[in-house]
Amino acid sequence: MTPEALYLSPTAKLPYCRGCGHSLVVRQLSRALERLGLPPRSVVLTTDIGCVGLADSLFPYLHTVHTTHGRSTAFATGMALADAILEPQGLKPIVMIGDGGATIGLLHLVHAAQLNVDITVLVHNNFLFGMTGGQHSALSPLNWITATTPYGNWTPPLDLLSLLRTAHATFLARQLATSQELESTIADALNFPGFSVVEIVELCTAYGTRWNQVSGASLEEIVRRQGYALGEVQIEMERPTFRDLYRHGMESPRPKRAKPAVPRLNTLARLADEIRLVIAGTAGERVQSAAALFCRAALAAGLYSTQKNDNPVTQGSGFSLSEICLSPKPIEYTGMESPDVVLVVSEDGWVELEANGTVAACGEETLLLLDSQIEATPTRGCVIRLPLRREANPKRAALSAIAAWLEKNPLLPTEAWEAVLALEPTERRAESAAALEIGRRLACGGGAL
Amino acid sequence: MLAEGALAAGCRFFAGYPITPASEVYEVMMRELPILGGLALSAPDEISSLCYCVGASLRGLKAMTATSGPGWALMIETAQYALMTETPVVVALVQRLGPSTGGATQGAQGDVWLAEFSTSGGYTLPVFSPSNAAECFELAVHAFNWSERLRTPILLLSDKEVGMTSEVVDDEALRIPALVNRKMATAKADYAPYAAQEPECVPAFAAVGGEIKATVTGSAHDTQGRLRKNSPQVISVLERLQRKIEAHAEEIERVRPDLDPGARCLLISYGVTARAARQAVGKLRSEGMRISFLHIQSLFPIPRKWLDRAVAGAEAVFVAEENLTGQYRAALTPYLSGKRIYGINRVGALISPSEIARAVQGVRA
Repeated sequence: MTPEALYLSPTAKLPYCRGCGHSLVVRQLSRALERLGLPPRSVVLTTDIGCVGLADSLFPYLHTVHTTHGRSTAFATGMALADAILEPQGLKPIVMIGDGGATIGLLHLVHAAQLNVDITVLVHNNFLFGMTGGQHSALSPLNWITATTPYGNWTPPLDLLSLLRTAHATFLARQLATSQELESTIADALNFPGFSVVEIVELCTAYGTRWNQVSGASLEEIVRRQGYALGEVQIEMERPTFRDLYRHGMESPRPKRAKPAVPRLNTLARLADEIRLVIAGTAGERVQSAAALFCRAALAAGLYSTQKNDNPVTQGSGFSLSEICLSPKPIEYTGMESPDVVLVVSEDGWVELEANGTVAACGEETLLLLDSQIEATPTRGCVIRLPLRREANPKRAALSAIAAWLEKNPLLPTEAWEAVLALEPTERRAESAAALEIGRRLACGGGAL
Repeated sequence: MLAEGALAAGCRFFAGYPITPASEVYEVMMRELPILGGLALSAPDEISSLCYCVGASLRGLKAMTATSGPGWALMIETAQYALMTETPVVVALVQRLGPSTGGATQGAQGDVWLAEFSTSGGYTLPVFSPSNAAECFELAVHAFNWSERLRTPILLLSDKEVGMTSEVVDDEALRIPALVNRKMATAKADYAPYAAQEPECVPAFAAVGGEIKATVTGSAHDTQGRLRKNSPQVISVLERLQRKIEAHAEEIERVRPDLDPGARCLLISYGVTARAARQAVGKLRSEGMRISFLHIQSLFPIPRKWLDRAVAGAEAVFVAEENLTGQYRAALTPYLSGKRIYGINRVGALISPSEIARAVQGVRA
């Protein structure tokens, strides 16, 4: 087999209209591949939708992937990304896309440029959508007549290469389909280690030349009129490719996969039946982390738990709450039909519990432990007030509230807290221990908890 | 746990885009995949996320993305491409309250139709729906296994209440199925990328970049992957895409049955609502009622074997799900002829065990 037969056979019957630039591009692409001697199985030709999407069947020995409209770049990027972690590496994706596909898939081009994946994109810019009947595209020149701009195009065309330059594209070139240099430009792009784009300017002989006074000879004039340069307009050799970046990134020590290892104690919790608690306070005051610590302590003592958190979309302002269910058995329903215990450490928390229906769902049996500064008076349930915010740092009030309730309802052994505090970062450990101690102390003076 | 399950299943590629309540999966994969020698990447949008996954899968890696309803809406074009090109890929769809932006931090089971009925032509997308953290892990492995074996996109339909609730998992009790990898093409001479033997009906896979030429296309094609119009072979390839799912429907079934052969009432549920349903069944039985319960984990293809078995003696069938219109109930209805069918539905909050029990008792009275 001759080298050229590995790519496009010289006798291949091309499916394109007479005079269409696509025929020139597939021939020059084949010559460029031949010149570089790329093994066919190291190349994947990824084609977009449109007449350009007929090209893959012309290359019988290359891997071919015919994709959806505009997405060819993204599929090719996925292949290149995967190739970066596989051995042996060296896959060369080539994307063949039109001006329409480049527009609808613009973000894929931008991201491929940012990543600097090793793919080559050939943008066949014939200024319109050919296969669908000659509609204008975002790359149509001003005053261009198409099926959808019968009075001439009045939106300025996108300068694709300038746009991609701002996305850190490393190799950008523009050539006429009729240029003698097209083959070498494509070869340079293919040979370039990183993201490369060649915008190939051509004419659609079915529609472009039908409605506009143009011919192959006027292509250069159209390009000049738009102020576009021809040739290899940007080559940036210094930027590392995605493959280099990935390898470099992976050279740094890999963290060990740490599993949160909560020890299982011999002293078990004293809980006969499911219990449901709501803990509410202010965002940023460690309400949810106090609840998580409580659940881990419960786990150490052999209990099952579920924890659901809620806060406003802004995350760092307004209320913060956790709903907890503890049980000696696996937990099914995780909702809160009527809470057994409600711990509220700030006004924000109380306001939210009124808004979300928790207050209304409290029964006569519900225990409500409120910070003394909360003014509202619950109409149902047993209410206890403790000066949590005054005595404890507000950021520790939720943990203090939990400790206060547990002091009078000792379902967890103290070893459970010790076990989970030992897993906390050192700087948090003392703070948390102090918060627990404050809670216990307040409870001792705090009546009917 | 869904992410952990994916890692255990051999997932080595993930591309994601932030969306509540699926961002946890994204974050775990970004942290853990590089350590296992895999690649996790932030995509610029959901369309790119799934395209990257499909591209990586074509290169030979097991790939997944995670999203919620709004993101899935953007991925449907690419999911269809994966179906048509027979590219294995897993999409975790963590539901939230819709329509549109809806309620990002509110649970819902409102994407059943959007998940299943998202292909032109009405092809069956296998859908697994976990109800708790342990099932997230186990069903993620099943999803990858079936995706590999059938070479088709698979959905893991979770929701905010399952995905964002912390709960205790006994990892020693996890049932981790043996891993399945796609069948690779070996014959070089007469390899036809879209030809498959009965009864498996799944073609052997040639990776892009491998020794065997890969021919991939989302356009109607013959067994060689050639674009053809009016060719009977194209129709037979299209028919096989559906037949390969149907041929394995019984094997795909995953249910947690709790049937009472003497019961005239059957309660069916899935996902997070199945937890409340199980609790409701316990309550009703403790009050002396005879009732069967079928917790369905593999929503699609409809688990006909277990469904037929469960409905055999039933006169009334209740389907509990957190959506307004009874999406899964509607999908089951054609298989429940002659039964009285009742929906237990609500949106905006979990359905509670007592709500389910009341509904069942109300009809009985």
